[in-house]
Amino acid sequence: MSGEEVLKELIEEEIEAREIRRRMANWEFINRQPPRIREALVFYIEKGDIRLAARLAGLDLEDFRELLRKANIPVIV
Amino acid sequence: MSHRGYTIADTCFLIDWSKYRYRDILFKIFRTVFVPEEVLREIKSEDTITWISRELARDNLSLYTVSRFEIDEARRLIEISREKPHLPSIDLPEAICLVIGRTRGYVVLTENRGALYIPRSVDEYRDVVVWRSLELLVNAVLYSILKVDCGSPDTIFKEYMRDTLHLFPRKAHEEAVERVRRYCLERRF
Amino acid sequence: MPREYVVIEYIGSEEEAREIRRRMANWEFINKQPPRLREALIYYIEKGDLYVASRIAGLTIEEFNELRKKAGIPNVS
Repeated sequence: MSGEEVLKELIEEEIEAREIRRRMANWEFINRQPPRIREALVFYIEKGDIRLAARLAGLDLEDFRELLRKANIPVIV
Repeated sequence: MSHRGYTIADTCFLIDWSKYRYRDILFKIFRTVFVPEEVLREIKSEDTITWISRELARDNLSLYTVSRFEIDEARRLIEISREKPHLPSIDLPEAICLVIGRTRGYVVLTENRGALYIPRSVDEYRDVVVWRSLELLVNAVLYSILKVDCGSPDTIFKEYMRDTLHLFPRKAHEEAVERVRRYCLERRF
Repeated sequence: MPREYVVIEYIGSEEEAREIRRRMANWEFINKQPPRLREALIYYIEKGDLYVASRIAGLTIEEFNELRKKAGIPNVS
């Protein structure tokens, strides 16, 4: 697979994934969270980078993963 | 029939897979599932640590102590991946699994998108087999380890998605369902 | 010494060691521990592997060895 094809596939998947995360997220739950957590969740919805989002939230990976479930934000891989 | 080779699992894979109702099929597919110490360190929840520790005791899981060489190679892989701006980032635990996949021939289990694309983007890693839960489920069906309802081939994926709140990209999901459908047709003849 | 005789004795010792660890362990103490430490102690009882048990616990080998003693689990060799 050429670099261009990889890039095209990645971009398409990222756009699709972001749309799904935005649509499924429980925004009421997200907006009730303390600022740091809220911003980390919004970051994750937009970027899909779970490790970085967890660090932004000040949580370990597993705790952040549970938080995503509570916020109804899916991991899409 | 089963794969019965070795595999190395990263954190993102384990923390989702541990929530799946048929998580133990993992041990029917592979002879041993290795877990790097760096990954074990990241596991915090009671349920996951209990599962991992009991399976370590049963020898279904085995702890992998990473060598200095492997860590250095992992850091080198991270640097290489940063030179490809289109690739999602990979972190040390995933990079370690990829290095072990390359040096030991283990199947790499990960849910990191960057890691999935490494074989397609980095020449040195082109022969590394990387599976996410999607490929694992398909192979579990093909190895007759996971029973499929041929009238509803999507059910096995839906069950996983429901248990974990982990969805699959549409095209990949469709391809997987189609593969299972073909398996069902082949079995009929 | 014939090789077969040595192998049989080895298997017997593993089982015996596990039984001793199970029997002598202070289960009240073990069950009161936080999940990671509890599971690490249970793992140690089953396998007798101090190194892996310490990794599960997230402790150094020395720290885990102290915990093992507090839990009344003997090192059987």
